[in-house]
Amino acid sequence: MKHLFKPYIFKNILILLVLLLIVKLLWFVITWVWLPSSGVEHVGQKSGKALYYRVKLTPNEISAPTKPIKQATKKNGSIDDIVLLAIYNAVDTTVITVKHKGKTKVLSRGEDINGFVLEGAGRNFATFTKAKKSYKVMLLKSKGKHQNVGQSSAQNTAPSVSNKPKKVAGEVVDVGDHKLVDRSLVDHYAKNMDDIYKNIGIGELKDGNNLKGFQITFVRKDSPFAKLGVQRGDIIKSINGQEINSYNAAFGVYKNIGSLDNLTLVIERGKEEMELEYEIN
Amino acid sequence: MQMVKKFFILLFVLWFAILFFMPKQALYYKLEEILLENDIKINEKNIEEGLFSLTLHDSKVYVKGIELATIEKIDFFTLLFYTKVEVNKLVLDPSLKNVAPTHIDEIKIAHAIWNPLNVSLDAQGSFGNVNGQASLLERHIRVDFNETKNTEMLKGSLKQDEKGWFYETSF
Repeated sequence: MKHLFKPYIFKNILILLVLLLIVKLLWFVITWVWLPSSGVEHVGQKSGKALYYRVKLTPNEISAPTKPIKQATKKNGSIDDIVLLAIYNAVDTTVITVKHKGKTKVLSRGEDINGFVLEGAGRNFATFTKAKKSYKVMLLKSKGKHQNVGQSSAQNTAPSVSNKPKKVAGEVVDVGDHKLVDRSLVDHYAKNMDDIYKNIGIGELKDGNNLKGFQITFVRKDSPFAKLGVQRGDIIKSINGQEINSYNAAFGVYKNIGSLDNLTLVIERGKEEMELEYEIN
Repeated sequence: MQMVKKFFILLFVLWFAILFFMPKQALYYKLEEILLENDIKINEKNIEEGLFSLTLHDSKVYVKGIELATIEKIDFFTLLFYTKVEVNKLVLDPSLKNVAPTHIDEIKIAHAIWNPLNVSLDAQGSFGNVNGQASLLERHIRVDFNETKNTEMLKGSLKQDEKGWFYETSF
């Protein structure tokens, strides 16, 4: 009988096919035992943007004032009569020069003019209180000299900034129930993330392997962050209603901080939950 | 002679079979799992499997849940003795513009069996061309900047020697 194929060629082809089969089986076993059948998908979380709207829609929000005050002070003189000419801010001292009814007067913190008590000063503004109301007077050059910044309970004022490692322009001013934060300060930290960590330490707070939130590990004394009222050990619960329990949520706030006018920070200090209000302008 | 020829044919078929039957997509999923341990996730629009390659299109890179980069194309290519990863059009989140160049046109990472202890790295972007090498034995990376345009944000991390500006780190 005549062979159609030479037996050794058939044998070689068979060896190759067996080899292919072995490789295929090997990969099959590896896939079955060791390799996953589907990939890891990232499920999007709510970004920090939403919190901005919450602040805007809250009825008792402390919005950035836009109109100069004309009420409240007409009886015993108006804040409009006070013209802010100069500001001097040092670590412990705030001195301003004002012009009132044609006369120039130098005021330090606690002193008053026309019944308006100087509470503090920022880079280009000074804050006064009168009858439990706060008033903001802008430097002469600025447009819109005076602004009402809401109710005040005459608490301590910390107007000046003294960053020993690096001086950052901008102020945090306590006006009682909330704090005024200079936008230039916010802009600086939004652009220089490294500078944030020189002044404040924020660590992870974990529940087992799951990230529960973030805790403040240190706050540099006299830094703008110290003036924000946060302390070592504070747990950041939420910012503008957005729970800060993931890096995404925290980064969302960081990314949008430049566009915020108001900020409500909820922290847990000891067993107490506190709400810190800030106005950025 | 016949035996040698037969051996090489078998070797070629084995090499080809390994590449042909390689579950490239599943291996990529394994890589995703390893990256996940470091809180890195890659979401790709689609995966294209080739004979020797795997291509990811329109990927988003998340680090700790934050979307930090988008990549138009990532190409994994292997011949077993030569492996290359090519990243095209990487755009970093604008918030990182102060720490790194946000637009990188191309990154090539290659490993060859004839240089087993080193991985080469080349990149092109707004910063010009960079060439580098990672030593697997010394666990050290050095990247040389051939040009120094648009590298202000990196200057703090760069060093200079007789060859010019370079970046180095250990892993």
